[in-house]
Amino acid sequence: MNPDVKKPIFSSYINNTSLFDEVFNTNGAAKNVYQKLFELYGNHSIQDYVQLNNKAKSSFFNQGITFQVYDNKETQEKIFPFDLFPGIIAEDEWEIIERGAIQRSKALNLFLWDIYHDKKIIKDGIVPLDLISSSANYFHQMIGVDPPGGIYNHISGTDIIKHSDGNYYVLEDNIRCPSGVSYVICNRTALKRALFGVFNHYKTHSVTNYAENLLDILESVKPKGVDVPNCVVITPGMYNSAFYEHSYLAKAMGVELVEGRDLFVENDFVYMKTIRGPIKVDVIYRRVDDQFIDPLEFRADSSLGVPGLFAAYIKGNVCLANAPGTGVADDKAIYTYMPKIIKYYLDETPILNNVHTYHCSRPNELKYVLEHIHELVVKPVDEAGGYGISIGNRLSKSEIKVVQEEIKQNPRKYIAQPIMSLSVHPTYIDDSESFEQRHVDLRTFTLLGNKKEFVLKGGLSRVALKKGNLIVNSSQGGGSKDTWVLKK
Amino acid sequence: MSFEYSVTYCAENNYENPVENASWQFLIVPENNDTQELISVEIKNSLEAKSGFSQNGFGFQTIRINTSERFQKINFSATFKLKKISFNPFGQIPIFDIPSNYELVKSLNFKVDQEPYLRETKYTALPASSENLFVFDTSISIFENLQKLNKWIYLFIHFNTGVTHVNTLLEEIINNPEGVCQDFTHLFCALSKANNIPTRYVSGYLHQGNGYFGDSQMHAWAEAFIPQVGWIGFDPTNNLLVNDNHIKVAHGKDYNDCSPLKGVVYSQGANKTSHSVEVQAEQ
Repeated sequence: MNPDVKKPIFSSYINNTSLFDEVFNTNGAAKNVYQKLFELYGNHSIQDYVQLNNKAKSSFFNQGITFQVYDNKETQEKIFPFDLFPGIIAEDEWEIIERGAIQRSKALNLFLWDIYHDKKIIKDGIVPLDLISSSANYFHQMIGVDPPGGIYNHISGTDIIKHSDGNYYVLEDNIRCPSGVSYVICNRTALKRALFGVFNHYKTHSVTNYAENLLDILESVKPKGVDVPNCVVITPGMYNSAFYEHSYLAKAMGVELVEGRDLFVENDFVYMKTIRGPIKVDVIYRRVDDQFIDPLEFRADSSLGVPGLFAAYIKGNVCLANAPGTGVADDKAIYTYMPKIIKYYLDETPILNNVHTYHCSRPNELKYVLEHIHELVVKPVDEAGGYGISIGNRLSKSEIKVVQEEIKQNPRKYIAQPIMSLSVHPTYIDDSESFEQRHVDLRTFTLLGNKKEFVLKGGLSRVALKKGNLIVNSSQGGGSKDTWVLKK
Repeated sequence: MSFEYSVTYCAENNYENPVENASWQFLIVPENNDTQELISVEIKNSLEAKSGFSQNGFGFQTIRINTSERFQKINFSATFKLKKISFNPFGQIPIFDIPSNYELVKSLNFKVDQEPYLRETKYTALPASSENLFVFDTSISIFENLQKLNKWIYLFIHFNTGVTHVNTLLEEIINNPEGVCQDFTHLFCALSKANNIPTRYVSGYLHQGNGYFGDSQMHAWAEAFIPQVGWIGFDPTNNLLVNDNHIKVAHGKDYNDCSPLKGVVYSQGANKTSHSVEVQAEQ
């Protein structure tokens, strides 16, 4: 027998102890929650693993679970790279994440209610007025509007990292149209199929209950006077990068997936066209950006929306999730005020840490940022998907100059943060045919409804597949892993 | 004393290619307020398409029309009868417009409450070099300053149709001061806001019996907020305080919030729209 064939899985794993490895201690031993997994994997060779991994990948391809990457010239359809080696989170550690995610969602919801009503937090000088009045996502049309159930951010995606100090930090709160939850569920399915023997050795919380909880939350914010609400998912269409997810969620909830042209508004009520005639729609999970939901009220060039939808919404005849204008709080400059926002509305200290942030809009901090770009991450405040991010220690001198100029041109557009050392997780790398350390983060999914809340016990562990890369977004070539939250 | 007006708004849309499906929103209905009361509305369209009332995002009444039959041309008309109450535009202003208001407008609470009408918008953004084009004299009242500004703009811009269009920005107006009511109003809003006074764009109708500028289209003017007094209307196109010849439809941050006709038309190719307005006093 060729000795290579029996090469154990982790035999060539290089544990760089200057990085925080989620699986291995600095002495090379597997951490508690991973020990059993390590024992079970340890009996297999790397070739066995590759075979299983390929099987899992082809199942993704066959199911059409793909996404699209935009760049300047073309869009490409890709499979979301998947790694079979899961992230595992112990119950007690998870409790912190879960409480922290709910705390942030509730605080953001109260913040949104306030800035669209009495604006006390601004009058009290906690959050600067400029931050709100310079935001393109602050909709004056929403001032004084009471969304059904008082909820703005029904669906939040919170991006969390583990820093080299072993603590969790929140990188971003995504409350516009956060995507990725369908991958969580598909990853689990693929993993269970490929590794049911291993999976069964752990008591892991299910993730397939997401859709039923989402439907529950949507039904909890039905308009007044509606008994059993008719919920739908609206998608920009099959060319959208997350179309798979839109169709998955509609199917899993047992509701209709519609495009703008499938709906119409009459007398400020929303109807769906069907072969049996119009059917009234009460709650819309919108995966269309709010600027595009109604060409009569917002962007006139939008062909994705429904003319008259916003009037139906402010009349209280339909609920939109998330509420229009929620994006004002999904701004990287607002993020930096999260500890104060939590304190102000809940009188609590934040359960999850914030990363220290410099505002380029403040002259002192701008000066610091311009002088220290080489040790900072510079981010535009209003871009999603990892676009426009510059990581200082990867830039050449001339690139630093370009970034400095950009910031000087439009300081309000940028924030900067220390380069956080994301934890690493053993990830199978095709090129070297072995496991290597790769940076990971975790996107969690929180739902907020009328007297209801839910955090998916699991999440999307996103992996930066390029060595040393810190940006894990799928649109930037990241992959993903299943995440197991253990039961006690 | 009050009297009645009859306002007729007509629009004709011509499309290069047949249209299968369209929705229009008209922001043309006179609002009900302290000085005007809507009595009746009559709406007609050449396709006999369904119409109904709704509202825009700022709470102003709109007329919605949807068509689902093929067409290349559609005519709309709406006739509004309303009662206008005559009023003294100077009213209570001199009593409450006091010097301490200059401090008040700088306070955080005031700025937060009036944020929508202090914010710079696309059409009310001043080029950097023009921010001090008109600086208020704090030895006189806010109202007097606004009256001076009204006159200043009236003299600064030469009324001329056909030079500007709905997308003209202030930079162009300042470099070549010619334009119509919309341009006068945007400049008024911009310079009033630059002096910390919340100011909004108003769209409406002008009764032109007295020979005012308004060219039988919808008219535009501005409303500025004077602390302790309220919103006061200024018509810089005619160097007037708003009076009982002004019939208000809606207000917003700029023209963008008040455009009288918005449409979503599922068709390819060019289209041409023409509007006309007639205001008659019926005594």
